[in-house]
Formats: sequence, C-alpha cells, structure tokens
Amino acid sequence: MKDFMLIFMSQSYESQGLSPDEMQARMGKWFTWQQKMAADGVVKNGNALHEQRRHISGPDRVVSDLAATGVKELVGGYYVVTARDLEHASEIAQGYPDYDLGGTVEIREVMVFDN
Amino acid sequence: MSETKVPLVDHLFRHQYGKMLAALTRIFGPSKLEIIEDAVQDTFIKAMMTWREGIPPNPEGWLMTAAKNRAIDLLRKLSAEEKRALKIDSGTTAIALGEVFLESEIEDAQLRMIFMACHPSLNPRDQIAFALKTISGFSSKEIASALLLKDETIKKRLVRARKSIASSDLEFKIPQGADLPSRLNRVLEVLYLIFNEGFHSGKKEILVRKDLCGEAMRLCQMLLKNSFTETPKTHALFGLMCFHAARMEGKLNEENEIIDLKNQDRSKWFGPLVIIGNQAMIKAVESGEYSTYHYEAAIAAEHLKAKTFEETDWSQIHNYYQQLYELQPTEFNLLNIAFVKMQLGKLEESKAILESFHPKDLEQRAYLYHGAFAEYHLLKNEKSKALNCLDEALKLVKNEAEKRYLEEKRESISIS
Repeated sequence: MKDFMLIFMSQSYESQGLSPDEMQARMGKWFTWQQKMAADGVVKNGNALHEQRRHISGPDRVVSDLAATGVKELVGGYYVVTARDLEHASEIAQGYPDYDLGGTVEIREVMVFDN
Repeated sequence: MSETKVPLVDHLFRHQYGKMLAALTRIFGPSKLEIIEDAVQDTFIKAMMTWREGIPPNPEGWLMTAAKNRAIDLLRKLSAEEKRALKIDSGTTAIALGEVFLESEIEDAQLRMIFMACHPSLNPRDQIAFALKTISGFSSKEIASALLLKDETIKKRLVRARKSIASSDLEFKIPQGADLPSRLNRVLEVLYLIFNEGFHSGKKEILVRKDLCGEAMRLCQMLLKNSFTETPKTHALFGLMCFHAARMEGKLNEENEIIDLKNQDRSKWFGPLVIIGNQAMIKAVESGEYSTYHYEAAIAAEHLKAKTFEETDWSQIHNYYQQLYELQPTEFNLLNIAFVKMQLGKLEESKAILESFHPKDLEQRAYLYHGAFAEYHLLKNEKSKALNCLDEALKLVKNEAEKRYLEEKRESISIS
C-alpha cells in the first residue's frame, strides 16, 4: 500500500452563493464520504484550509496577500489516503462531493525515500 | 454502509439562517442588513467545513454561539469603522446580546422581520422575494426558481427592498395599537401569496412547490404563537392553507399533469392536515367575525367533506361564495359563482354572470373565463361552441400544466 495525497481545488464556497439548504446538503455529502473512508480505513489524515492566502515568491521573497474570490482553482483542503495504486486512489476520489461546483481533485503519490 | 445519513433535521440550516438573521438585525438594526447577511453566510460556511468531520451534539446551539461571536466581532468592527466606542462588555448592549439569543426573543425578532418584509414602503413584489430571503433563508437562485423568474430579477428586487428599508429608516418592531390590524392584514396577504405561488405554480418539481407552501404555513404558525398576531383571521388563513395543502398530492399525477377536482383520487388527500385545519377553524370562528379567509376555508372544507365529486354540497358552496363576494367583490369570485351555478344546473344564471364582466378583468387568469364558458356549452351539449372557447383559453394560458390540461380536455371533446 502507498500513500496518496488528494488535493481539492475549487472556487471558494464564499463566492458560490450557496443557499443554507444547499450548504446543509453539501455538508451531508462530505460527511458521508468521510464516514465511508473512515469505515474503509483509507484516510490517514487531512485538513480543510482557510481562504486567506499569502504568497512569497522570487529571490527577493516578495510577499503578497491574494484575494480568494474569483479564483477557479483554490486549494481548499487535502486528504492523505492509503491505496494500492493510482487507480485505487482515483476510485476513492470518486466520492469527492464538489465536482458539480466545478471542483477538481489532484491525486499525487507521496514519495518514500529509502534510507 | 447504510448508517451514513447525517443526523440533522431537514432545513435546519435554512431555518437557523432566518433565526440568526433576525436576532442579529435586532442588535444592529435593519440598515446593517447586508453586513449581517454576509456574517450569517460565513457562519454557515464555517459550520459546513467543520461539521464534515462530525456533527456537534447540539447543532443549533453551535450555530447560535457562532452567530453570537460573529455579532461581537461585527460590533467591534462597526464601532471601529464608525469611530465611536460601542461598549459591548458592559451596560445595556451586553444584556441585550445575552437575551437576544433566547428562544422566545428569537421568535419575537423573526416576527419583527416578517413585519418589516411586509412594510407598506416596500413594493409588493419585492416583499415576497425579501421575505423568502431574510425569513425563510432561500437564496436568490432558489427564489427565482420557485417563482419562475430570472435570478437577476430577484437580485434586483432584493436590492430594491434593502434600499427601501434603509431609506425609510424602518423600525425593527412589531406594530402596536391602531397600526397593527392593517399591517397584519398585509402580512397575511403576503403569506397567502407565497402559499399560492407554491400551490398554483407551473413549476414541475413538486418539491419546490411544497417548499413554498410549507414556508407560508410555518410563518403563519409563527404568527399564531404571538398573542398580538394570533387573530381569528390568522387562524382562518392557517386553516385554509391546511385544507389546500391536504389536496396537494391529489392535484397532480405522476407526469405532473393537473387533475381537476372531478377526477382527483380523493384517497390521496392528506387526512392529518384536514384535522389540523379543522382545529384552526374552530379557533377562527370563535369571535363570529368572518374574513375572506374564513369563507375560502369553508369552501375548501366543503370539497374535502364530499366523498365524491357528485356528493359535493354545491348549494352550501354557492352560499359561501356569495358571502365571499360581498366581502371581496372581484371578477374572480364571480367566475367561481358562475361555475358553481353550473354544477347546480342553473345554466342561464351562470351565463348571465359570465356576461356581466369581461375576460380581461381577470388579467392573467383570463383563460379561466373561456374555460368556464366551454364548460357551459358542454353542459348545453354545444360541442363546437365549447371547442371555440377552449381555443380562446389556449391562446391565453401561460402555465404549462394548465395548458396541457386544456389541450387534453379539447382532445376528449373532439373525439367524443
């Protein structure tokens, strides 16, 4: 078994204008997915991320605070899951609830270094 | 895995939204509505993210605490912006903050919100949109979908409503004394409009329609819980809504086609709602003062009482319509009287009534006039005249379900 990171990218929830009913339904879907993964014993860890973004870039370490609104592919959170291979990890990622909101899941295998 | 269902009450977020908005508006005043709406929205996003991992034991309490903390943040932010010191940790504001979130006070705040939404300074069409947004927690998209309008139209109405509220500097309170009856009348009218939007909607999804009817009934129940707004009229409107809603399932078939009263499967009518409606009507008639809602409810109840269409007590219904017409002399009520007279076999009287006004008087319901005349000709066995009338009706009808109904009726006549 290997570790894979599922990285969730979408527009921020704030900019989607979801109604309370839609938010409740969406939360239910996340909860269901989370429960299923927990029951299957595949999740190792994961986090949701705040929207506030700061970039530091370039040799001069330029610091810039960026707005989250209007960004199509904002990283909103991640899970690290245990899976046999990329195919298996993709299967797990099928349950991600925000595809209908234009969300994307990026799947990356966690590198293991032999010492 | 079957036990993955989230243990949350249906519409919990939606209902909490209305509560939180009302409580916060009571603290900050209606002029801050936009900021408050954003704050409440933020609270839900936070809940949505946090609760993924597990629902807190007391979700409502969690939300209210979050809203309260958000209120304190807001107070700080606003007082800083306005460069004046709002003392939040002492004195009256602190007391108010604590009390505002008590269940009874939230109910009171929601009533204030209802009265504000239905304030005469707001455009009537904006009132419905604004009420659904601020009291019922619908998004503009959901309102648009329910009312069969564009999202843009609803957004404009919401902006206009907020502007009217800010510019008229409305007070956030339940009207007192001499003002109360007329203001309450308008509230009841708006609730009935919301209900009718759901009940008569051409919208396909039955869920959306039930949502609107359910909201109108829920708000009506809120009025019934307050001693100032619990009036015979409010009881009568609630009873009326129960009676109509009881027939909801029987009104449409699987394909969402309208089934007329004559052909509805009466076993699909929902008994428990009839009982609740009857209880409301007992309270409604205590004072002996009757409103249009009383008569409309009495008519709906007569239909519910009849086990078959043939057993309908048309003379009793005729009687109620006459009294309704006295209170509310509209062409629409005349049309109904004409229809009832046909059922009583009084064809010529019926015709005379129909000829006493013009279809245009019924505005967007003008097609019903031609539909009634078609019925008259059918009863007189004048098929071709009936078909002509149905053609006229079909030219004017907008609602898809109604249109299909008329088309099928036309079909059945031309082949018989």
